[in-house]
Amino acid sequence: MTQTLDVSERVTQPNRSSHATGATAATTAGKFGTFAITFGIAFALLYTVFEQLNWPLFTYHPAVGKVDFWMQRPRSGEGPPMYWYGWLALSFTGAFVLGWIATVVSSQWLYRATIFCCALAALWLAAYTGAIFIADRVSFDAEFLKSVWLSAIPALVGAAVVAYLLPSPQRLWTSLVLIMPIGCLVILGYSLKSYFMR
Amino acid sequence: MDFIFDYISVRMFWRILLFIHFVLAVVLLVAVTLQSVAVLMPVRQAAGNFIQRVRAAPPTWYVPLIVILYVPTFLLGAWVYVKYRTYVRIPMEQLGHWWTVGSFEFKEHIVAMGMGVLPAYWYFWRQPLSGDNAAVRKWLTIFLAVSVWYAFLVGHVANDFRGVGS
Repeated sequence: MTQTLDVSERVTQPNRSSHATGATAATTAGKFGTFAITFGIAFALLYTVFEQLNWPLFTYHPAVGKVDFWMQRPRSGEGPPMYWYGWLALSFTGAFVLGWIATVVSSQWLYRATIFCCALAALWLAAYTGAIFIADRVSFDAEFLKSVWLSAIPALVGAAVVAYLLPSPQRLWTSLVLIMPIGCLVILGYSLKSYFMR
Repeated sequence: MDFIFDYISVRMFWRILLFIHFVLAVVLLVAVTLQSVAVLMPVRQAAGNFIQRVRAAPPTWYVPLIVILYVPTFLLGAWVYVKYRTYVRIPMEQLGHWWTVGSFEFKEHIVAMGMGVLPAYWYFWRQPLSGDNAAVRKWLTIFLAVSVWYAFLVGHVANDFRGVGS
């Protein structure tokens, strides 16, 4: 008998009773699992937001070995600034804090809040992209549609509806640890298109 | 740090760091590839050629190695990145190697995402394995493998432009 079979035998069967009674994150995932999954989801989301908005915790100027708090534009004679470390530092810190909070809140609240945040991010981007598309094509003046905050209204409503109506949030919550990094990489990759279209 | 430069040149120092980063990346690449093969094409019988033996290996074997290697490879890469930004990227831009610059920018993002999912990857592979999370576990493994392969190939191209042996 191979070791592969041994591993297969050690795979636990789905806990049907826990599904029937509405399992909590703590009972099914444990504290580390809850932290790890939330950390993965939050990191992907925060990193993408900070990169897109260019919000680093600090800016490093490697040519002169200088570190500035928050975002600093390139200065004459100081070489190129590096923001990546700053995005990482802020994202890791934020994801760590959110991961820790996830271990102390109730599981149902955690699932719904996570799905709400992820849906909000996706719908906000979709609404904003759609608004710009419409504003550029209609015959009348629709510049007001290009407001980021206007796009937030349908995104908030949509995210609230999704988070409230979703029948089994736990399964989606677990899958988000994979869906969010891939989705965020699509956005980050698209934002680099100028390098590939020169 | 400066005492090191009494013994080796600054150039040699960075080349050694880059080489260690490369060696760690190769070992990591082997581990994620073998685990992906074992996850995607598992076989019950270990008998046969090398490929079949690899496919029959329990994927859990590789998990500690991957976690332990991913973190220092990432940190070392982040350190060497300083030199890339000042010494490699500027001439790349001046010579119009925009595809290489853009690909390297994406490398930053994909390895960062890999770091982000690493705790979850570790969790999903902890014993006893949960049947509920089999699909997420499998695809997280593939995601990490893709991120490592992408980072390795793009890093290799950047090294060929201006690095060890170029």
